[in-house]
Amino acid sequence: MSTPSAADGAATDADSGTVARAASATAPAATALTITDLTWVPSGRSRPTLDALSLQIPAGQRVLLVGRSGSGKSTLLRALAGLLDESTGELSGSMPLAGRPGERALLLQQPLHAIVGASVGRDTAFGPENARCSRPEIQERVSRALQEARVVGAEDPRTSADSIPWELSGGQQQRLALAGSLALEPGALLLDEPLSMLDGPTAQSVRSAILEAARGRTLVVADHRIEDWLPHMDRVIVLGDGARILADGTPAQVRAQGMLGGSAAADPGRADVSGAGNADAREAAAREAISGEPAAEEASAESTPAPLLRARDLTIRPRRREGVSARAHRALPPLLTGIDLDLTPGSLTAIIGPSGSGKTTLLRVLLGLDSPAAGSLEAPRGADLAFVPQEPEHSFLALTVREEVTASPWVPDATDVDALLRTAGLEDLADASPYTLSGGQKRRLAVISALAQRPRLLVLDEPTVGLDAESWAQQQALLDSARAEGAAVLVATHDPRLIARADAVLDLAAHRQDRALATGPGPNPGTSGETAARTLLRPIRRRPRALTDALNPLSLLLIAAAAVAGSFGIATWQTGLASLALVAVLAPLSIRTVRGTLLRLVPVGLAAAGLWWSTMLASELPAFTAGSALLGLKEALRIAYFVAPGVLAFTSLDPTALGDALGGRLRLPGRPVAASVAGLVRAGLTADVWSRVLEIRRLRGLDARFSWRHPLRSSVQLVRTLSSTTLAVLLDAIRSAEQQALAMDARGFQQAQRRTWALPSRFSVADATGAGVAFGLAAAPWVIRGLTG
Amino acid sequence: MSTAPTTTSTGGTSEGSALARRPLLAYRTVDLVLTVAIGVVFGVVFVGWGQVYNLITPLQAAFPPAVGLLTGVFFLPALLAALIVRRPGAALLAEVIAAFLSIGLGGQWGFGAILSGLIQGAGVELAFALTAYRRFTLPVAILGSVLSGLFEWVFERFVYYAEWSWTFAFAHLGFFLVSSVLLCGVLGWALVKLLVGTGALSAFPAGQRMRTARA
Repeated sequence: MSTPSAADGAATDADSGTVARAASATAPAATALTITDLTWVPSGRSRPTLDALSLQIPAGQRVLLVGRSGSGKSTLLRALAGLLDESTGELSGSMPLAGRPGERALLLQQPLHAIVGASVGRDTAFGPENARCSRPEIQERVSRALQEARVVGAEDPRTSADSIPWELSGGQQQRLALAGSLALEPGALLLDEPLSMLDGPTAQSVRSAILEAARGRTLVVADHRIEDWLPHMDRVIVLGDGARILADGTPAQVRAQGMLGGSAAADPGRADVSGAGNADAREAAAREAISGEPAAEEASAESTPAPLLRARDLTIRPRRREGVSARAHRALPPLLTGIDLDLTPGSLTAIIGPSGSGKTTLLRVLLGLDSPAAGSLEAPRGADLAFVPQEPEHSFLALTVREEVTASPWVPDATDVDALLRTAGLEDLADASPYTLSGGQKRRLAVISALAQRPRLLVLDEPTVGLDAESWAQQQALLDSARAEGAAVLVATHDPRLIARADAVLDLAAHRQDRALATGPGPNPGTSGETAARTLLRPIRRRPRALTDALNPLSLLLIAAAAVAGSFGIATWQTGLASLALVAVLAPLSIRTVRGTLLRLVPVGLAAAGLWWSTMLASELPAFTAGSALLGLKEALRIAYFVAPGVLAFTSLDPTALGDALGGRLRLPGRPVAASVAGLVRAGLTADVWSRVLEIRRLRGLDARFSWRHPLRSSVQLVRTLSSTTLAVLLDAIRSAEQQALAMDARGFQQAQRRTWALPSRFSVADATGAGVAFGLAAAPWVIRGLTG
Repeated sequence: MSTAPTTTSTGGTSEGSALARRPLLAYRTVDLVLTVAIGVVFGVVFVGWGQVYNLITPLQAAFPPAVGLLTGVFFLPALLAALIVRRPGAALLAEVIAAFLSIGLGGQWGFGAILSGLIQGAGVELAFALTAYRRFTLPVAILGSVLSGLFEWVFERFVYYAEWSWTFAFAHLGFFLVSSVLLCGVLGWALVKLLVGTGALSAFPAGQRMRTARA
């Protein structure tokens, strides 16, 4: 087996090596990593992130990297992966040579950044495609990697190569990222805080998948939470500023030096709870105290004041996905049931539960963004309610820190901004741009901006993720001051130390209507043959099907272009009407749902009506006469013919299939095509960020709606809100782009100028029909015009 | 922010950082990914800004050429990609991606949007090509926007508004040019300066000049 057309490119040595190894189907040799005297100064900085670092990691060793945020762990991992971008800094010394694509796998904190495929299978195939593997070999590697990373298998009988990555749980997404790396048969796994977004049990299961995959490979892990890694590690390296090595040895040696648990340099994040599992013990105690019951009930005992928020027997449905009708959504089984909650002034309540258990969905209901499926809910609204999102940047809308604090119209005029800035330790940064702050400072700014409106209820989503000890303590102080002033504080979190401080804990695991995990009638996990069958790469299919789905994307484009060419044959309204009749006859071929098709045609109708009106007014003929009205009608029919076939055909146009056609069949340059497909596939994430940012603004009192009562004021407000939302979404896109590019390069994308495509772009009988339709659409108006003279 | 003249903060010639000195067509992965992402963001943003479009509907009904008033916004992905990524083809790719996505999200012009995307992207592309991709200043940004507006006007004049009288067509062109200068050239330029100020662009040439200038 060999890669097609691989012989003529560069780097064929590495490629053929890969192929040979894969063909023998044995585990690849572990890779040794050596760095000598490496210094890295990012552009515009004076201090190096890596300062003359030398490090040797023999093949097969398991290494844990420990150090405070900003100590250079991430940079070191990138250097080990050979992915430091020399155009963005100054590099001296030597780092490992670039090997074959994906030889050193790099996994990032946020698995969402690594997802580039529309299905689990296509996502896993991304690396082998970059390595120019043949189709059978891509399939073989995808099957192996998906099972090795335990994405597909007994643990989750529902996930298959067809599953949609965005719909997986956080743990499954991280396993998918692992599978994407394993498909390139790496000799070393480099992991940058791979578990920090996951709750305890999920983290445990992903950790064991990682450790199993690391067998026979070199493993380097950077993590803040070290205790659960230590028993599996050969070596621990403690890094200080500039990635200077403070300690290096076996876990026992390093612990003996006092560099683990307790030392601020080693792991400041846990300095206050040194010793194994202390925090977990506290968490257990907290949970035991309330014995899994919605703890708020105790809090609302007779002596306490009336609750600010009161929820009784809430039933929560999963969020409605795009394309799911309201009726189908109502028919879905509930996600959570029987939720009771009372939040009293001054209390701190934590909502906990495994990733994907519905914390965010419940928060949305409590914030009034969605309504519950059943039950009663009384909660503060408007100025009385403030929300701090997990990504503080999503809430920012001002140019300076000071303006940010008072940006909400609900902030009283008499607010002492300086006092608030002092409580957050931001007084020296009052004139800085909020976006230039550090992670911890951004969090605190978002909190004081929420507190400035003097809310009775403060809701925070994962307020402590990624904070080091100092920032953590400052964050807690802010929450305490809010409570002291009588606000109820509600957090969704998986941080054991924060949970331990809560007066009450609501564990969603107890309220979950578990479909998949408990007794769901999922397919029998069964034999390995069945599991392998679930790793088969197939085209992305949408349901319900439309007949046009059978067409090659190039045929769809041809149909759209043909209609454009045909439309210029329409010179009278009669020709237009007759031609449009043809479109009406063909339209049913593209129907997925009648409602969907009609919804797509509405904008076309509006555009045609607009053109009719404007032509009537703006043509050479006198306005509002029969002549100009008929001329307008002709134009409206012409534009409808121009647009409608394309709009209908495009409902079957799938970005992944289009990429296969443009890259695999037309042989357009592989990198731009693959990057475009990845971007389009991820468009749903961008749309999510857009609506989330807009909602956060609404919760800050900045409505983005036009109002007839205050036309001018609401218009100005609308444009301002949309502008700041646009800026926030752009920033999010820029930050994600860097992570996404890194994840793609770790899977061999940098050298993928010529790449293969996992699935063929076929032409079938349907495409012959499609070509006929295209010809008909291009010719019909001209023929009718000729016949009618 | 800085009071330095615009040409020294984010513009000027390509001396200096390694980023600016690499070969013109050497796209790093992050350049490609960001170019596509800019297109995707604006594909989504165009839908979100639909409300603003509704605001001018009455004006447009009374005086059809006013439809050109907001057109500049549609060239923003091309201009932003060119100003940030500074590679040949970035403007074209970002604009086509935005157009492609807007069709999927229910845009009204179908295949016409893709043609418009190519035309608008080409306008911005041409302006920066004329400087051999060496100058990324406000005047060049405005020139690119104006060229986009001009090209798009020619396209719409003959494809969408073929029966309008020349009087109305030139009024339409007037709106197009004003909108191009203000809502694309100036607004896009300001947007990039704002982004540079956040420090988020440090991995791109646009952001690096600013950082080294400050340090």
